[in-house]
Amino acid sequence: MVPLENYLVLSAILFSLGVYGVLARRNAVLILMSVELMLNAVSLNFIAFSVYLDPDRILGAIFAVFVITVAAAEVGLALAIVIRLFRNRATSNVDEAAILKW
Amino acid sequence: MATEVLWWIFAGGIVGASLGVVFSGSVIHSAIFLILSLCGVGAMYALLMVEFLALVQFLIYGGAVTVLILLALKLTRMGSGEKINGRQAPVGAAVALALMAVLISVAVRTSWPGDVSDRPANIAMDLISQKLFLDFGAPFVIASVLLLVALVGAIILARQEDE
Amino acid sequence: MGAEQAWLLPAVPAGVFVLLALFGRYLPRQGDVVGVAAIGTSFLLFFFVLVDYVGIGEGADLVLKSWAWSDVGEFSLRFGIAVDPITIVMLGVVTSVALMVNIFSIGYMKGEARYYWFFAVLQLFAASMLMLVLADNLVLVYVSWELVGVCSFLLIGFYWEKRSATEAAKKAFVTTRIGDVGLLIGIILLWKESGTFNIEEIIRFAEHGGYGSTYLTVAMLFVFLGAMGKSAQFPFHVWLPDAMEGPTPVSALIHAATMVVAGVYLVARLLPVFEVAGDTMLVITLVGLITAVLTGFMAFAQTDIKKVLAYSTVGQLGFMFVALGSGAPSAAMFHLMTHAFFKSLLFLGSGSVIIATHHNQDMSKLGGMWKKLPITGTTFLIGSAALAGVVPLAGFWSKDEVLNAANHHWGVWALTIAGGAAVMTAFYTTRLFIRTFLGAPRDEHVYEHTKEPSWTMTGPLVFLATLAAVSGFFVFEGFGTALGFPGGITQFVFLEEPEKYSINLGLGALSLAIAGLGIAIGAWIYWGNSLERSTSLAQSYPWAYRWLRNKFYFDEAYQWGIDHLVLGAGYVAAWFDRYVVNDTGVNGSGEMTSWGGFVLKFLQTGRVPNYAMGIALGVVGLAFAGLMVRG
Repeated sequence: MVPLENYLVLSAILFSLGVYGVLARRNAVLILMSVELMLNAVSLNFIAFSVYLDPDRILGAIFAVFVITVAAAEVGLALAIVIRLFRNRATSNVDEAAILKW
Repeated sequence: MATEVLWWIFAGGIVGASLGVVFSGSVIHSAIFLILSLCGVGAMYALLMVEFLALVQFLIYGGAVTVLILLALKLTRMGSGEKINGRQAPVGAAVALALMAVLISVAVRTSWPGDVSDRPANIAMDLISQKLFLDFGAPFVIASVLLLVALVGAIILARQEDE
Repeated sequence: MGAEQAWLLPAVPAGVFVLLALFGRYLPRQGDVVGVAAIGTSFLLFFFVLVDYVGIGEGADLVLKSWAWSDVGEFSLRFGIAVDPITIVMLGVVTSVALMVNIFSIGYMKGEARYYWFFAVLQLFAASMLMLVLADNLVLVYVSWELVGVCSFLLIGFYWEKRSATEAAKKAFVTTRIGDVGLLIGIILLWKESGTFNIEEIIRFAEHGGYGSTYLTVAMLFVFLGAMGKSAQFPFHVWLPDAMEGPTPVSALIHAATMVVAGVYLVARLLPVFEVAGDTMLVITLVGLITAVLTGFMAFAQTDIKKVLAYSTVGQLGFMFVALGSGAPSAAMFHLMTHAFFKSLLFLGSGSVIIATHHNQDMSKLGGMWKKLPITGTTFLIGSAALAGVVPLAGFWSKDEVLNAANHHWGVWALTIAGGAAVMTAFYTTRLFIRTFLGAPRDEHVYEHTKEPSWTMTGPLVFLATLAAVSGFFVFEGFGTALGFPGGITQFVFLEEPEKYSINLGLGALSLAIAGLGIAIGAWIYWGNSLERSTSLAQSYPWAYRWLRNKFYFDEAYQWGIDHLVLGAGYVAAWFDRYVVNDTGVNGSGEMTSWGGFVLKFLQTGRVPNYAMGIALGVVGLAFAGLMVRG
């Protein structure tokens, strides 16, 4: 089998890409998609650890189930916000939602 | 041997798809790439012999989340045409690269205990259900409450106000 | 009722002070009789204490009683009294003179504003002074010391509507304060090595050599500084003449008989310690001699009656210090006692003149008062003669003792200087008497309206004159034993030194000659109606006259020092306070915070990606830090 480090490196790459997406893109929905990427990277990490290191081999998977659950809930809510934002401002460009400033 | 090759194919796919998500010019294309990436990760779970999770991944991400995203994109009339990168892109790239460097270096340099060779073929379903409903019963219920709240919240946020 | 209840002597006036201060306004006659009664009680109680003490007999040199005041860990302050012969002398002097002054004030202060307050503060003063002489530890002495200073301040500035009075009160307080700091330092130094404030214990500690020699000299010099301040010795003499701004009874009580002798009392009490620190004795003697001579000169050119008496007081205090420095505390205490009587007599007498002439103090307007004020004049004559040292009045005996001590201990040079000061004393006293009471009146209008004041004022004069006449005989053994004291005052005050006070006829004759010389010179210059001789003398030596008249320009020198040095230091401190402490420190730290906030607010861009960047940077930073630490 593939050594553990492979999985870890893979998840690191995924995570970093997600971070870049969050920081560098303008579209709100796209930022959400990058967050999904990050969450997936984390789940992958957990499962890899649990399979390779945990004798019960199952705890990481349970955790990943919960991560997926929460991620789904969060996406739903976040998109509702984006829709709201779009309705108020006719744009979903995050750069332009900057009222709460000094 | 075969699993190794498969692993590398899947890994390449995932990375490629993710790059597509983040760097693509059109938002719809990014959404499609996301589906690919998520399904790739699901395949990775299957390789790790955690089929239950692979199923969950396909179902939820591939089925529900991406549909949601596409729906939202259509509702907010996303198209292409605008500049895609925000103002922080260079710094963001630097930060992401730095983070990647740190994580990879830590992952590679640590000596992980245990070895790889002996693993069960698959995991019994009853073990999963036992853990999920008995040992982690409380988080399970809380997660369901969380979903309920998210549902209600999304409805409230997104409804049309009466004029 | 015995010596152990001596604490009642200060307690009664203290209580009456509170009463008068709070309710004096509403009492009948504004409480002046209450005040007199209080002091009278103390005077009466004094006799009980005296009889009891003498009855205890020889060898019992102290009666002690103390209460715990504050005990904090190892540091304990006690509130206690110690009665020994010096204390008895002081108690007698203070209560008798205070009683006379209180009675006199009924007449003198009649019709003045704040009449009740005057009596109230007189009571407070008496209480503090009595406590000072009864105290058994230095902290209590210091507290009473300060209290009498406060009373002096209040009383000098009694006529606070007059600017000069408030200035004088301030000057007195500040000048003595400088001395008081020295006293405090001295007390602390003494305590540091011996661990106690109790006077007896300190004396024993010093005699057993507990203090290092230089250390003790320094400490005692600081203590002496306090005595110098309070007793207006050179160079602190500047406050006493100005203190004459206060009402004349105040001058009589505080600045002649009692408060200013607190310094003498302190040195006398601690004399065993001063003797251990040998060099200090010479310092004390020299200070006394210099002061006596200097103030003698200054008294030559003064025209205000009270100022002449003030300078005279300072000079006589110098004499007392000469006696102390010569190791003769009984001579000093004896002179203290006689001086208290005749000096307060002279002050009260001048007060009588002032009241009689409707507040005229300038000698150039007086003259020929003898015919108009017989009682005042006679008593004033007795007082003046006592001051000049004419036999058989008290001053002769006590001054003789001082000269004897100086000669015995230091030699002829000390005797010469002291003798010279005595000549000067006789001279200016004669000048004062002649110009005020003899000759033809210089101002007819003033002369016409003069009349003898009432018995409340002349009564005390007679009483004090009697004391001034007879108290000198205490020095004789026979006189003392007749009254019940074992031996004369010398044996009483310092039971172990009877041999110093045999009557030295040669010296006695010398003293008499000295007095006679001074009187003769005074009479020659001033006798007769005109001021020809004195004015011609003044004109022949104008620069001398100017220096004397301006009191050797001490005040001007001090003022220059204050203006340039003290205020200069003040300006530096003020600059520091404004620019460093306030602007940089206080305002600065506030402004820095404010400015920091102003700069930091730009972080709130309102843009979510910026905040996400913040989070990401934080995470990366922490990750790197962790990597660095863990390697």
